[in-house]
Amino acid sequence: MSNWLKPGLGIASAGTVILVGEDGGYHMRAGLAAYRRALAACFAAAGLVALAACGPGSSATTPDGVSPGGAASNSVTYAMLPGGYASYPFPFFAGNYIGDDSTFDVNDFQYQLYRPLYWFGTGTTPYLNPAVSLAELPVYSGHKVTIRLKQNYKWSNGEPVEASNVVFFMNMMKAEGKNWVFYSPTGLPTDVTNVKAASKFVVTMDITTPKFSESWFTNNMLSEITPMPTAWDETGPGKPSHCSTVVADCIAVYNYLNSQAIKSPTTFATSPIWSIVDGPWKIQSLDSQGKLVLTYNTSYGGPVSPHHITTFTELPFTSEQAEYNVLQDPTSNETIDVGYLPTVDAPVPPAGQLVGANPSSMSNYKLSVLYVWQLVYFPYNFNNNTGQGPIFKQLYFRQAFQDLVDQEGVIDGPMHGYGKPEFGPVGTYPVTSYLSPQLASRGDPWTLNIPRTQTILKAHGWLMGPNGIDTCHRPGTAPGDCGAGIPLGTPLKFTLEYATGTDWMESSVREIASNASLAGMQITLHPEPFTDVVNSAFGVNGEGWQMAFWGRWTFAPDYLPTGDTLFQSGAPNNAGQYSDSHNDQLITATLDARAPSLFQSDMYIWQNYLAGQLPVVYQPDPPNLIETIRGLNIGPQNSALDITPEMWFYGQ
Amino acid sequence: MTAYLTRRILQAIGVLLLVTLIVFGLLTLAPGGAAVDVLGTGSAHKQFLLEYLSWLGRVVHGDLGYSRVRNESVTYLLAASLPRTVALMGISTLLALVVAIPLGLVQATQRGRMVDHLVGGLTYVFYGMPTFVLGALLVLFFAVRKHIFGAEGPQAPGILGVVTDVRDLTLPVLTLALVTIATFARYTRSAALDSLGQEYIEAARARGAGMRRMVGAHVLRNSLVPVVTLVGLSFPQIVGGAVVVESLFNIQGMGWQIWQAVLNRDFPVTLGFTLVIGVAAVVGSLLADLGYAALDPRVRYAQA
Repeated sequence: MSNWLKPGLGIASAGTVILVGEDGGYHMRAGLAAYRRALAACFAAAGLVALAACGPGSSATTPDGVSPGGAASNSVTYAMLPGGYASYPFPFFAGNYIGDDSTFDVNDFQYQLYRPLYWFGTGTTPYLNPAVSLAELPVYSGHKVTIRLKQNYKWSNGEPVEASNVVFFMNMMKAEGKNWVFYSPTGLPTDVTNVKAASKFVVTMDITTPKFSESWFTNNMLSEITPMPTAWDETGPGKPSHCSTVVADCIAVYNYLNSQAIKSPTTFATSPIWSIVDGPWKIQSLDSQGKLVLTYNTSYGGPVSPHHITTFTELPFTSEQAEYNVLQDPTSNETIDVGYLPTVDAPVPPAGQLVGANPSSMSNYKLSVLYVWQLVYFPYNFNNNTGQGPIFKQLYFRQAFQDLVDQEGVIDGPMHGYGKPEFGPVGTYPVTSYLSPQLASRGDPWTLNIPRTQTILKAHGWLMGPNGIDTCHRPGTAPGDCGAGIPLGTPLKFTLEYATGTDWMESSVREIASNASLAGMQITLHPEPFTDVVNSAFGVNGEGWQMAFWGRWTFAPDYLPTGDTLFQSGAPNNAGQYSDSHNDQLITATLDARAPSLFQSDMYIWQNYLAGQLPVVYQPDPPNLIETIRGLNIGPQNSALDITPEMWFYGQ
Repeated sequence: MTAYLTRRILQAIGVLLLVTLIVFGLLTLAPGGAAVDVLGTGSAHKQFLLEYLSWLGRVVHGDLGYSRVRNESVTYLLAASLPRTVALMGISTLLALVVAIPLGLVQATQRGRMVDHLVGGLTYVFYGMPTFVLGALLVLFFAVRKHIFGAEGPQAPGILGVVTDVRDLTLPVLTLALVTIATFARYTRSAALDSLGQEYIEAARARGAGMRRMVGAHVLRNSLVPVVTLVGLSFPQIVGGAVVVESLFNIQGMGWQIWQAVLNRDFPVTLGFTLVIGVAAVVGSLLADLGYAALDPRVRYAQA
C-alpha cells in the first residue's frame, strides 16, 4: 500500500510522501500515487539527512556534555532538511496537507507527539521495535488479529492509551478514506471488519482477505495506525461525539479536527486538541519561521534515557549551504547539535572506512552515515504511447540499458564515495533479512559495460545509422529480432525527465545519456521540478512520458518491500505500469504465505526472479551524512528515519 | 506639481488594476486546480468579470488565498516574510546609496587618476561576481574563520529582532550591498561626468567656484536622476527579495518563499506574492517619477 516518494537525496525518512535528501534526491512513499492521481497533483520532497542540532547559547557542547554556556546539556537542536517545516499535527492526514514534507510533518513532528501503534526502527534497520511500540506484538488466530496495548502509556490529560483509541482511528479510516493518504481499496480499512475494543486494552479485528501473510499484515497494515485520544472525539469545543463507536459520527469529527490542524501553526502550542499527546514530546512553540521547540512530556510511558534531554528544537533551513554554514560557525546564535553534511562538502572516506575525516572547521562534530530504507530507481513507461513502450518491454533492451548505468562511478564521483549500488527490487542497504541472500552475495551484475550494450543491441536487429542512432533492421518476434510491436526503422531515441536540484542525479543522467550515445541511443534529458516529474509519472495522462527520475521510494509506513506496491500489475505506485504475470504470481504467493518463514522464502524467490527482469533502471543509493556534536549520544539512527530524541543524552 | 502628482497617481492606480487583472487571468489559466485553491469551489461556473471583482474585493480586504502546501494563509506568509525581506533589501539599498553616490562623485572628479581606477576596478569585480560566490566568501572569512559576524541571517521572528541583530544581519546586507554599490557607483560616475562637462559647470568654474561647491550645488543633483531611476526599479527587488542571498543565509524572505512556491506548484502563494511584487513595481515607478520631478523642474513643467 504505501510508502513515500522522495527526491533523490541523501536521506529520507519514511512515511508516505515525498522528501528530499541531503544530497538532493527525492523520495516517494506509497499511498501518494493514488492521491496524486485523484488530484492530479504531486508534491516535492526533499532529501533528508540526519539532522538536528541543539542547544541555545552560542557555544558548542563539550565532550562531557556540558556546554560552555553551561545551559545546553539538556537540550538538542536538530537541523531540518532544506525547506522542511512542521505544519500539520493531525496524524490522520490527506496527502495534500503534508505535501513535500512528510519527514517533517510525520517523523519529526507527529511521531514525536503521537506515537504510532507500532514503531519501526531497531538499530539501523527498519524492523518493528517492540520496546517503543504502544502494543505488544499482534497475535493471529485464524483470520482474527488481537492487539494488546501496553498499560504504561498515558495521554497527557491522564487518560490511558486504550483500545477505543485504536478503534477511533480505524473508524476514522472507514469514514474518511478519501482523506487518508494511505487509503487503498485493498488495504486498511477495507481488508478488515469487526474492529472492536474487546476489553479496555485489547483490540480485535477480523481480516477479510482469504489468504494473508502475518508479517505483511503487521508491517504494512498495522503500521499505519496511530491511536487518537478520546478527548479528540468531538465536533467542537465541549461537543463530544462518538466516532470511537459510531463510524457515521466520524465525518463531523474529522472536519472539526482538520479545521484545527489547518489553523496557523503558531497556534498549535496552545491548542487544547494538539496539546494532548501520548508521545515523549509536547509543543512548546512553533514560530512563523518554522522553528519548532518541543518540551519533554513527563507523562510519557515509553522507554527513555535516564539522562534524557528535556528540550528538542528543530530548526528550518532554506538550503543545505545555509545549514552547513551554521554547522561551521560555533559562535552562531543557534548551534546545531545534530545536522547533516551536504554531499558536495563530504570528505571522501579512506579505503576500508565508512566515513572520512571532517574538515577542521567541523572538528567539534562526528560524522556518520545512515542508509535510508528505500529503493533508488527510475521507471520505464511501458504504457508509453509514442512508440517506446514496445522497446521497453524487451528484456534484452532493459539489460542493455542497465549496462549504461555507472553506479560505481556516481558513487565515487558526485557522491564522494558514499553510496551503495542497487540491483534488485529490495534495497541493498541497510542490510536486512528482507534481501535475498542470493542477490546479496551476487552483488551488482550490471556494471557499466558499453560494449556489451552494443553487442546485445546488434544481436537483436539494431544497426547504427549514419546519424549515430541505432534503428531496427529486423522487426519481428523471432530470436534475434527487435521484438513485438517494434516496426522497421524504429530509432532508439528516448526522453528522460529528471528532477533538478540533486547533484548526483544530474551527473548520473548526463552520464547515462553520454554512454547511450556511444551505444547508438539518443537520450534527450528534460530537467524539471520534482513535482513535474512526479506528475508525469503518476499523473492522470501518463502515456506521454518515457522515463522519469524523481529520486527514490522510501518503504514506509509499509515497511516490507513485498512488490505489491511498486511492481505488481495495476499497483497504483507502479508508475511505469510494469506487468509480468509470473512476477504477479510470485508476489501473490508472498502475500499469501501465512507463516513468517514461508513468507520470507517466497519473498526471496520473487526478488530473485524480478531482479533479472530489470523492471526499472536502478540507481545508486546515497546515504545521509549525519553530523552529531561531540558529547551527544544519539545511538544508531534507524533507516526508517523514525527518530527518538528522548533516548538521546549527553555523555558517553 | 499637484496636477502632475494627481495624474501620475491615477495612472498608477490604472496600472495596478491591470496588474491584478493579469494575475487573476493567470490564476484562472493555471493548471491543477489553482483557481479552486484560491477562489473556492464553484468558481469555474461564474463569469470571469464577476469572479474577478469578487477576488479583487477579497484581495483588497487582505485575503490572498490559502496555501495547502504550507498550511497557512498567503497573507500570513506574506506578513512573515515581507518585513524580513524589506529590512534586508531596504538596508542594503540604503547602504549602497550612502556609499555609492560619494564614490561615484569622487571617481568623476578624479577621473583618470589612481582613485578612479582603483574604485572602478573594485566595482567591476563586485559587479561581475555572483552573489552566491560573494556571500560564500564572506561567510567563510568573517563567520567561519574569524567569527566576527554570524553565518546566517537574523532568525528572530519579528522585524525589530531582525533589524537589531546587527551581527547576523551584516553579511547578507553586505553581500547585497557590495553588488549594488558597484552598480550605483557606475551610474553616478557616468552621470556626474556628464554634468561636469556641461557649460554651466564651465561657467561656474570660470567664476571661480570651487570643486566642492560645484559638485554640491550642481553636479550632485543632476547625477541623482539615473540613480533615482535605479532605486525606483529596485522596488520590486526590495519587496521580492533576493533568492540566492535568502537561501544562502537561511532567511525565509519573499524571494525564497516564492521560489519554493513555484517548485511546489503552490499557486496561491505564487500569485499572491507576484501581486505584491507587481504593486511594488508600480509604486517604485511612481516614486521614481516623483523623484525626477523633485530633482528636475523641467520634468514637472514638461508634464504639466
